[in-house]
Amino acid sequence: MSEKNRFAHRLALLGAVEFSASDLELITSEIAEMDRILADLEDFAQDTPWVSLQAQPIEKKLGS
Amino acid sequence: MIHDFLGADLTDLSWLISTRELSSAEAVTAALERLRGVEPELNAFITVLDEQAHAAAKAADDEIARGQRRGPLHGVPITIKDMFATAGVRTTGASKILLDWVPDFDAHVVERLHTAGAIIIGKTNLDEFGHGGTSTLSHFGPVHNPWNTERIAGGSSGGSAAAVAARIGPLSYGTETGSSVRRPASYCGVVGFKPTFGIISRYGSFRGAWSQDHVGIFARSVKDIALGLDATAGYDGRDPSSVQQDSPSYASHLDGNIKGLRVAVPRPFLEGTDSAVKEAFDAALKTLAEAGCVIEDLDIPELSYAAMTSMMTSAAESAGINRRWFRERHQDFVPHVARGLAFGMTITASEYLTVQRARHRIRQALRQAYEKIDLIVSPTTPRVAPPISEGVKGNGDDTRHVSYNHSNLLRFPSMLGLPGCSVPCGMSPDKMPMGMQLIGAWFADQTVLNTALAYQSRTDWHRQKPAVDR
Repeated sequence: MSEKNRFAHRLALLGAVEFSASDLELITSEIAEMDRILADLEDFAQDTPWVSLQAQPIEKKLGS
Repeated sequence: MIHDFLGADLTDLSWLISTRELSSAEAVTAALERLRGVEPELNAFITVLDEQAHAAAKAADDEIARGQRRGPLHGVPITIKDMFATAGVRTTGASKILLDWVPDFDAHVVERLHTAGAIIIGKTNLDEFGHGGTSTLSHFGPVHNPWNTERIAGGSSGGSAAAVAARIGPLSYGTETGSSVRRPASYCGVVGFKPTFGIISRYGSFRGAWSQDHVGIFARSVKDIALGLDATAGYDGRDPSSVQQDSPSYASHLDGNIKGLRVAVPRPFLEGTDSAVKEAFDAALKTLAEAGCVIEDLDIPELSYAAMTSMMTSAAESAGINRRWFRERHQDFVPHVARGLAFGMTITASEYLTVQRARHRIRQALRQAYEKIDLIVSPTTPRVAPPISEGVKGNGDDTRHVSYNHSNLLRFPSMLGLPGCSVPCGMSPDKMPMGMQLIGAWFADQTVLNTALAYQSRTDWHRQKPAVDR
């Protein structure tokens, strides 16, 4: 995917919200950083699971 | 005469009120006068509760006269961040979006404070909904630092830190998602404590990021922090992250005995720390060693990913929290906050999970480290409060790179839910306070407080008075 398309794909997630040209420039520069950050984190997290919600035993309240 | 007690800590003020040498009405009147006197310089408050505070003080005096004293906070004037819902009192989150919102319920913290008989005299200024580290991103304008009003107070709980530093009550409650209690505490020369995740319920406070938000406490003394914690800690089923726990009694277990405690310094992350801060921190380490701690250097390479992991988690969760307002009223957010939410909105679910896997790896590394140590200590911030004119970049945060930068040390405690305390540890050549943070293992809150007390009992940095107080 080209860089232009990548940004367009991300910005589409903002829905109908519109920003000024200068704001959009700042947001896309953040998005460009994010792609690099995610690549770093992907390597770092490679062999680590996601810890989903842990269930706890339920304390029964009999007779209440 | 009436103002002589303004610098008193909670313990002393409480004693004066309990013995009726001072009435709650007098204490509240003086605190409100003090607030009015310095507020034009600080802009630390969004709402002042004159009428309610005077009425509550009268009720407290009546109860105490009847021998019905509720405890150490009874009749004492305190403040809270305008993140907490207050029944019948507007609650803004420093946002234009909720400019006139008056909740019909109290946040958990507010309920507990009312039960304890504390008198809430004002709601403090902050970065909008807690999104920031400067307290300049407020619809109500920036908070100014009491030590130098050209400097920031730090954020997002800057109004609370500034209020305690300026002697507007001995205690204030804030919140922390990244470093929003410890950083402003360090910049304003007060103690700032955030407990283990789940110790204080967040019910009724605005959310910055569900999995990182904490309630925190500001005071000038560690003992006051412990009293403030006792008043608000405890299980609350309305906060799904609240933990089952015994009745809190942190204050009664404060003993300052830290002999043999293993204290680790993440030395590689201190590169780039200002020389004055480094000097103050080294002196603080010496004090801890004299008190009996065993100091050692420690490297946890996984921490070099902490700042970016915390930032990405916050960005995604805050976008999720504010999704509707962002879509319907994005123009009403402070522009910098709106751009941050936009960034968060573009993070996908699978990317968020990648970030959470990274977070778990860091958690595991810390878990292993705490098997061999009791505390991690470092300067709270690598430099003193920057000028307001430098804007949000003044803090010098780096949450974008894998590196040994200090931002990792600021962000990992909230990201992992560890208890942390910043205590004043020195004064820079330009008369700005500096802080040392003490970070314990999960549920080692008492160890953190004991160590902070031991340090404070051997130093007097917390007794220094800011410029606005002279």
